[in-house]
Amino acid sequence: MSKTTRIAINHSGGYLPGLNSVLSGVARAATSLGWEVVGIHDGFDGLLFPERYPDGGIATIDSGELEALAAGGTPLLGSGTHSDPFRVRTINSENQVEEMDRSDDLLRKISDLGIRAVISVVGLRPLSVLFRLHRKGLNSVCVPASVENDVAATDLSFGFNTTLSASVNLLDSARNAAQSSRKFGVVEVLGEHTGWLALQSAIAVGAEAVLLPEIPYDIRKIAAKLSEKLKSGQSYGLVIVSEGAQPLAKAQAATAVAQQSLRASLSPLATGAQGGHVIHRSGEAAESVALELQRLTNHQTYPLVFGQLVKGGAPSAVDRQLGMGYGAAAVRAIAEKQDGVMVSFHPPDLKFVPLSEAINKVRTVPPNSLFLQTARSLGICLGD
Amino acid sequence: MRAIDPLNPTGLVLNIQHFCTHDGPGMRTTVFLKGCSLRCKWCSNPESIHLKPELAYDSKKCIGKKQCGYCLKPPFAEGAFYVPNGLDDKVHVNWDLANDCSPDCAAMCPTGAIYVFGQEMTVDQVLDEVEQDSSFYRESDGGITLSGGECLLQPDFAAALLKGAHERGINTAIETACNVPWRFVEQVLPHVDTMLHDHKLTDPVHHKKWTGVDNSKVLENFKKAYETFPNTKFIARTPLIPGVNDDESHIRAVLAFIKPYKNVINYELLPYHRFGESKYSYLGRVYEMEDFKSPSEESLAHLRAIIDEQFGRGGAQ
Repeated sequence: MSKTTRIAINHSGGYLPGLNSVLSGVARAATSLGWEVVGIHDGFDGLLFPERYPDGGIATIDSGELEALAAGGTPLLGSGTHSDPFRVRTINSENQVEEMDRSDDLLRKISDLGIRAVISVVGLRPLSVLFRLHRKGLNSVCVPASVENDVAATDLSFGFNTTLSASVNLLDSARNAAQSSRKFGVVEVLGEHTGWLALQSAIAVGAEAVLLPEIPYDIRKIAAKLSEKLKSGQSYGLVIVSEGAQPLAKAQAATAVAQQSLRASLSPLATGAQGGHVIHRSGEAAESVALELQRLTNHQTYPLVFGQLVKGGAPSAVDRQLGMGYGAAAVRAIAEKQDGVMVSFHPPDLKFVPLSEAINKVRTVPPNSLFLQTARSLGICLGD
Repeated sequence: MRAIDPLNPTGLVLNIQHFCTHDGPGMRTTVFLKGCSLRCKWCSNPESIHLKPELAYDSKKCIGKKQCGYCLKPPFAEGAFYVPNGLDDKVHVNWDLANDCSPDCAAMCPTGAIYVFGQEMTVDQVLDEVEQDSSFYRESDGGITLSGGECLLQPDFAAALLKGAHERGINTAIETACNVPWRFVEQVLPHVDTMLHDHKLTDPVHHKKWTGVDNSKVLENFKKAYETFPNTKFIARTPLIPGVNDDESHIRAVLAFIKPYKNVINYELLPYHRFGESKYSYLGRVYEMEDFKSPSEESLAHLRAIIDEQFGRGGAQ
């Protein structure tokens, strides 16, 4: 008598619209092979803390469940943003907080439950945790998911297209607001390491300028561009800023000036200025750019921060297809006995690449990007 | 728990900081011990949290892959250190994977870019360094301060260190949150002249949300300490975090808590500054830090005036 193959799916990373599409893709493809699918709640927390969940941390995805999986509905599985089985925070019997490595415990539970492989929908950071688990013996296949499209070794991460659509919708409103108030709107969008979201949004709405982490900007060039607009009689415009964009002077200073000594940085009296590393806070980029542009153009500007807003809403048609495709391909990978791989989308193909090819890399906008060329052709100022 | 020889205890020391002026009376030498029993979301000393040596990385000391590249090969864990494509020649760290490297690996880095936070030291080693500043202590009524982390998590070492300091005529102070078993407090406090202690949050549920545990043990220890050690000076403190504990009710609750005890000689507010950020980057824990702002001058002045009024100092600052 043959035993039914059982696989699991989970999501480690921030909230993504339309995650159910991937789940549905996995469930349908697995069901057609006669396999059983279970979902693990909140990354791996469902297995590590089963007592926290009414269903014991594992959701059985049967045919009825499958029918109920609307693509835009509430995600069936939660996401474990900081779920790291190697550093599980616990309180010991002395009321002290400590981190425990529960990876062995996790792998044992996966084995005890008869789970042959785990499909993980992950972003940039959880990818490393997954790689570490794979190295310890977890049979894993991952689906890249990122609203910033920053996962390497794939051309399009799940979730990016929906976020781009949401950003463009909001930017249309921002442009109307700028036009009616006759101001320059400086809009900050997600993108700490990569400017895909800013760049593609800027092209879609025809922004006046776009600032990316990949291209340190000269604020005077953006001001000159806006001043031209003013002279031609257009008293409004949009500047789109990735949250990780940096002015040229700051980027040069970061590489030229040595960081303060470690000893100084360890002082409890040390101030932010003593640390060489600057953490960009949400809203900081838009605020500083808006202020500088107002000074240089003598025309009113206002900063606007989209932040997490763009992660909501219904999934786009592209993401719904991509999610189903990624899910089905992940099941195919398991059927083909692939292990420690990520499903990678290189149009028109969905392929499998080793996890080791995806970690420690960020998918940035290359200097010869077609999108950059398009932006320049459209007269969008990049600040360089 | 670390194994310690009670007759010759050693401690895991993070750093020794000279000429400190905010860690107790006068000019002080502050000894930071490693290990903490709380996980405050605003922590400015993340390198002090774990009671074990940890790898750290200082990129400015790295000479790059072309000239070195030792960390890109075994025994360093695969993927722990890497050179990103298209960027510079400097090595970057994947902190999730670097956890698989033994701290001993640091010795293989010829430039010291990879190093270890936390050094095992004897009582005499620490005191010999502390005593170098003794002339300043005499001038300013200063001394040694044990800080952390949570210095009471190494009770054998802390007690021996402070006892040794007293034997050398050095005034002693500790900075503590007191979330430790009472036996640890009882062991160390006989050797303490001044105890600076944190009242972080009054409400136990909020305390758990922001620090990881409720404050039942903390408050119990404070009360016992005030009562058991009447000759020790206690200074209550609150690290003031906007939106977390900068409300008048918390300040008044702390004042009510300490009021019956004459040996609690002051209550200080420590306005939060984002000085921990660079250290989070050394440890690759940027994602753990929450986004807090510093308190406004107005809010600080208002809350300090409430404290001054209770301590009979009169007039806002």
